Amino acid sequence: MVRLPYLTALTTLFSYGLLFAFGQMRDFFRKILDLWKSKNLQGYAPICLGLEDFYTRRLYLRIQDCFNRPIAGAPDAWIDVVERYSKDSNKTLHRTSKINKCINLGSYNYLGFAAADEYCTPRVIESLKQYSPSTCSARVDGGTTKLHAELEEVVARFVGKPAAILFGMGYATNSAIIPALIGKGGLIISDSLNHNSIVNGARGSGATVRVFQHNSAAHLEEVLREQIAEGQPRTHRPWKKIIVIIEGIYSMEGELCKLPEIIAVCKKYKAYTYLDEAHSIGAIGKSGRGVCELLGVDTADMDIMMGTFTKSFGSCGGYIAASKEIIQHLKNTCPAHFYATSMSPPAAQQVISAIKVVLGEDGSNRGAQKLAQIRDNSNFFRSELHKMGFEVLGDNDSPVMPIMLYNPAKIPAFSRECLRRNLAVVTVAFPATPLLLARARICISASHTREDMIKALEVISKVGDLVGIKYFPVEPQKHLTDKIQKKLE
Amino acid sequence: MAKLYAQTVPPPDLNKNTEWFMYPGVWTTYIFIIFFTWLTVLSVFGCTPGMAWTIVNLTHFAVTYYFFHWKKGTPFAEDQGIYNRLTWWEQIDNGKQLTDNRKFLAVLPVVLYLIASHTTDYQHPMLFFNTLAVIVLVIAKFPNMHKVRIFGINSGH
Repeated sequence: MVRLPYLTALTTLFSYGLLFAFGQMRDFFRKILDLWKSKNLQGYAPICLGLEDFYTRRLYLRIQDCFNRPIAGAPDAWIDVVERYSKDSNKTLHRTSKINKCINLGSYNYLGFAAADEYCTPRVIESLKQYSPSTCSARVDGGTTKLHAELEEVVARFVGKPAAILFGMGYATNSAIIPALIGKGGLIISDSLNHNSIVNGARGSGATVRVFQHNSAAHLEEVLREQIAEGQPRTHRPWKKIIVIIEGIYSMEGELCKLPEIIAVCKKYKAYTYLDEAHSIGAIGKSGRGVCELLGVDTADMDIMMGTFTKSFGSCGGYIAASKEIIQHLKNTCPAHFYATSMSPPAAQQVISAIKVVLGEDGSNRGAQKLAQIRDNSNFFRSELHKMGFEVLGDNDSPVMPIMLYNPAKIPAFSRECLRRNLAVVTVAFPATPLLLARARICISASHTREDMIKALEVISKVGDLVGIKYFPVEPQKHLTDKIQKKLE
Repeated sequence: MAKLYAQTVPPPDLNKNTEWFMYPGVWTTYIFIIFFTWLTVLSVFGCTPGMAWTIVNLTHFAVTYYFFHWKKGTPFAEDQGIYNRLTWWEQIDNGKQLTDNRKFLAVLPVVLYLIASHTTDYQHPMLFFNTLAVIVLVIAKFPNMHKVRIFGINSGH
């Protein structure tokens, strides 16, 4: 449920119409000018049709300097952003050697493991020396080390399932596993705001894909009833199996999924459930075990739980946790297990150490401190943004908070003004989000201190006034810094 | 004036080329764009209001025919070309006919035609061109014309 001022909807549509019209005009003149240029590609088909990359050429390239910013260090609470300049209005960008130190509100560094950690880093360096950076082999050939076996056990224990399997890349986990689980004759029902990796995996599997309205258990039930009654397309035979795919925290909305209701619906109609916990594992829940712990759902009710190590554990890779039979089946059929290089050993060691810290098995309570810190940080930041009049999405306790921008021109304005004031934010536009709903996504980390957050809030407030995104009425209050000084005391 | 807010539930449409049309404010924006084009034409050419409406009607015909009924596919390469044979009109609302959006878009050329012919007092030759425009546009939007290519025109590569 998104609320936007009506006038903003009109102006956003008008701006996109204007950008579209200018893009079409430029294409038209480019076509005329290119008639004169000689082409030595007679008889070859064009690599892309003129219309296919229209969005990339005429809209994305204009604001290219807001994306793909190179960094020069570890993405901790502060991050080093490399400055770039362009001589041909953003068609090509060149790096300089100057570096800006900015507050980092863009990295998925939820528990603060992205930078050097006193427990994890020495162990990672030791495993780097012992096992070398890459196993240079697929899991089935020579790529399973002791670390991989240990990590699979640790992950299964942490998530609460009998067994787990690892992959070197989180995106590839989804797009390679879904085709191994379901094929032609099956039905995949996925949430309308699911991540691109799930969409690609579902497309690649060959099963029929249906979409249900985001987070609506009622609509899911409607779709399930309709599909079960109709059966497969054309033959109307019963479906071979039905999998419902949902996410723990939706990364573009920052909101939790309504897990208990959706699980109840799936159980009623005997559909399998697949939960993608990329953003929620390690970041929410009392001991960091994700959305199942937070919402009180028994992990035995979920058939397959997927997650990644990139967000909360500061590593890279993905995992699937399920029953022993499913994991054994995946080990025998999944192409990512047979042909893809296995996870890098130091990365595996980083995850093992990070999970030990979170569970408190390293002998300190830093894990519990980090979890409490990220919860406090998220709630503080979100409530302050609300008070300033911004439209912020997402539930309480969720470390992802998108600030709505709406207008296409406000995307580069917000991004550039924040960078000028040493704040690094990530802005997201169409087609990752719906057309009207462009946003700046803030990811809070446990390593952000109060001073960092207050400074960031001041910058965001100033830039928000400049750009004009305080769509909701501001709560009447004293000057912001006075109020926060009182809180610190 | 109190701020008007529009509430919306994101529609479950996977086709990014057409899902923007299901948000609030689209119809109003469309009408405003047409109205402001009329004002611009009137101020640039300095012609009679009726002539300006005829120019707007014919430009609207050319633009909407090209973008709704001629250009096929989507401006994004990520959907891997599954809509490459469908024009925008055939893609909206997932191909369902006679939805609210389609009815609005079908009535609009007729309303423009009535305004243009009324303000030019039904004189030739403007009447002829306006009538031609509205006939082509309305026939292109019939449900029976879904995926029909007359004489193979625009059936593509």
